[in-house]
Amino acid sequence: MDAQSLTRWYRTHRKAIVVAVSGLLYAGGWTLGYLTAYDTASAAVLLLAAIAGGYDIASAAYHEVKSRTLGIKTLVTLAAIGAIGIGAYWEAAAVVFLFALGSYLEGRTMRKTRNALQELLEMTPDTATVRRDGEQREVPARDVEDGEIVIVKPGEKVPVDGDVVDGESAVNQAPVTGESAPVHKADGDEVYAGTINQEGALEIATTGAGSDTTLQRIIRRVEEAQEAQSPTESLIDRFATYYTPGVIVLSIGAYALTQNAILSLTLLVIGCPGALVIGPPVSIVSAIGNAARSGVLMKGGEHLERAGTIDLVAFDKTGTLTKGETAVADIEGFGVDEEDVLAYAAIAEKKSEHHLGDAILAAARERGPAVPDGGRAAAIEAEEQGPSDDGTAAAVPTETDATGRAIPDADDFDVIPGKGVVAHYDGQQIVVGNRSLLEERGIDVPGEVAEYVREREERGETAVHVVHRAAGASAHSVVGVIALRDELREAAPDVVAALQDQGIRTVMLTGDNERTAAAVAEEVGIDEYRAALLPADKQAAIEDLQAEGHVVAMVGDGINDAPSLATADVGIAMGAAGTDTAIETADMALMADDLQRIPYAVSLSKATRWNIYENVGLAVLTVALLLAGVLTSYVTLASGMLVHEASVLAVIGNGMRLLRY
Amino acid sequence: MSETTQLRVLDFDCPSCASTVERALDRVEGVEDVAVHFTTGRVEIDYDASVADPDEFERTVENQGYTPQPV
Repeated sequence: MDAQSLTRWYRTHRKAIVVAVSGLLYAGGWTLGYLTAYDTASAAVLLLAAIAGGYDIASAAYHEVKSRTLGIKTLVTLAAIGAIGIGAYWEAAAVVFLFALGSYLEGRTMRKTRNALQELLEMTPDTATVRRDGEQREVPARDVEDGEIVIVKPGEKVPVDGDVVDGESAVNQAPVTGESAPVHKADGDEVYAGTINQEGALEIATTGAGSDTTLQRIIRRVEEAQEAQSPTESLIDRFATYYTPGVIVLSIGAYALTQNAILSLTLLVIGCPGALVIGPPVSIVSAIGNAARSGVLMKGGEHLERAGTIDLVAFDKTGTLTKGETAVADIEGFGVDEEDVLAYAAIAEKKSEHHLGDAILAAARERGPAVPDGGRAAAIEAEEQGPSDDGTAAAVPTETDATGRAIPDADDFDVIPGKGVVAHYDGQQIVVGNRSLLEERGIDVPGEVAEYVREREERGETAVHVVHRAAGASAHSVVGVIALRDELREAAPDVVAALQDQGIRTVMLTGDNERTAAAVAEEVGIDEYRAALLPADKQAAIEDLQAEGHVVAMVGDGINDAPSLATADVGIAMGAAGTDTAIETADMALMADDLQRIPYAVSLSKATRWNIYENVGLAVLTVALLLAGVLTSYVTLASGMLVHEASVLAVIGNGMRLLRY
Repeated sequence: MSETTQLRVLDFDCPSCASTVERALDRVEGVEDVAVHFTTGRVEIDYDASVADPDEFERTVENQGYTPQPV
């Protein structure tokens, strides 16, 4: 080992060396005093122990005084000097050694907590293989520019955020989303820096590199969350502003009464609220770190503490309890072909941008039925198009093009939120909607139609009526019903049961009608449901549940449900990895669409709340006992310091349990 | 000209030690704003580059007995 690396080794291990030297000298001096009669020799060794352990403390104390703060190190230094002054070498050495040992261990364990996130950061490789000027080159990952093609071989970690442009593979996204199962990625799919490419080579068009990646953004959010003060922390800080001067007054009073300098210094040193102020932050930082590694972003201690009190979880149905992939399950024509029912509905829904409309359009494109009324209109378009047209396709001709198949544009259409759509096309009127829309418009629903609708709804499906009025006619007729189904997520019943086991009430909020909602609620095993809610009603439903005295968490997608997430005591957004808005509005964000994280997040929050109580309780009890002990002379400077440092370590250790929760 | 730098101190052992470091950094010449976060060990310093010497920040942290690392 050369001199330079020896210096470096000394610098990084200085604290440990100081503690060890001071400890050995302390033990030596104590043994000497115990075994022999050489009191002076023993005192000298103990003095050396105090100096070895106390030098760094005293120099930090000097800087504390210089920056005009009264810190623990100044107090410890004063106490040690005072003890030496009255010849209590053993006490001086003990208090210095115990304080140095305690600080060293505390710093070490806190480092472990702080490093929990660094491990995530280290998941991102430093270099990336890019294609530049027709050849592959290795460059620093942060220098990759947007749009550049990065090649990721099987087994490699993805160095940048980007979209797959070539290749197909399974990618382990655990570092970002916490999902343990690899996710299949192909052309057009988004991949995140820090994830692991497991199977095939991928070529990625870069969308973000360096500090501008999803993982980096998440980590910054997590750190901000860890730095934000929780209500308990603020409370303790406020308490400390009265408590600390109180201890000072107490120790001055004790000196005035007893003229015992050591007693009053002891009061000062062990009266420091060490365990009290360190407990809550350690609990919270550990819990937030743990959650982050499981793909749950907690927005801060405040949210975490509140989440620990929730007794009701409300789920939005679509996309949360269900997969959010609504598809046509069945079509029934009444006096018309099924194909025609679908075609009418497709025209009306073409621009509705509603998820039921999207499903109808997808079915229409897939089945490719001819547009009803023969040759006048075009046939169904086969060309690939996104489910919700963005208007660029508006120029699709409605004149028949013998080969081209297109869903013609309606001449006009009117979306009635929560009810359906009314459209006109070539003199005809098409209404696609639920029972209440038909009632509102005075359209009769024949018994056989109602019967069919009931049958589908009892299976948890959504049935929409398709109504047609021919050009020039005045009477409407219900020509058919389309039944749509959104499959439940497999985990949904287990998740609901797990929450119920924790004593939490579960509620489903949905725009579906009563019968569909009841069927789905039964299938999931949810306690309660609120049906036929318009988007704005969901927020009111949350307020309603709160008025009943519940502390409500709301689970939704974070975009459509933003208002209800904001109203709930704790808003939980799902599948937030790619969407900053969802992270913005929610108190808690699940990076993946993984419902199973919800019982985990709720129980982690509850455990954190208890952990904080335990820590505060232990700290208050320790300080109270120590103060009483000092005032009654049962506790000395050294033994007080031992208990004080032990209580701080106990509190840190207890908080860190949450890292492994 | 105002600039911002970050340090990371992984071995803070108590919240009040972090605030002591914060106050010490605040007294360094040219420092405009400083935030020391005990929980994450993150130190953010806004300073006037024409007055302050960034090396002084690390020395100030070391004087208090902690090991600063560049971010």
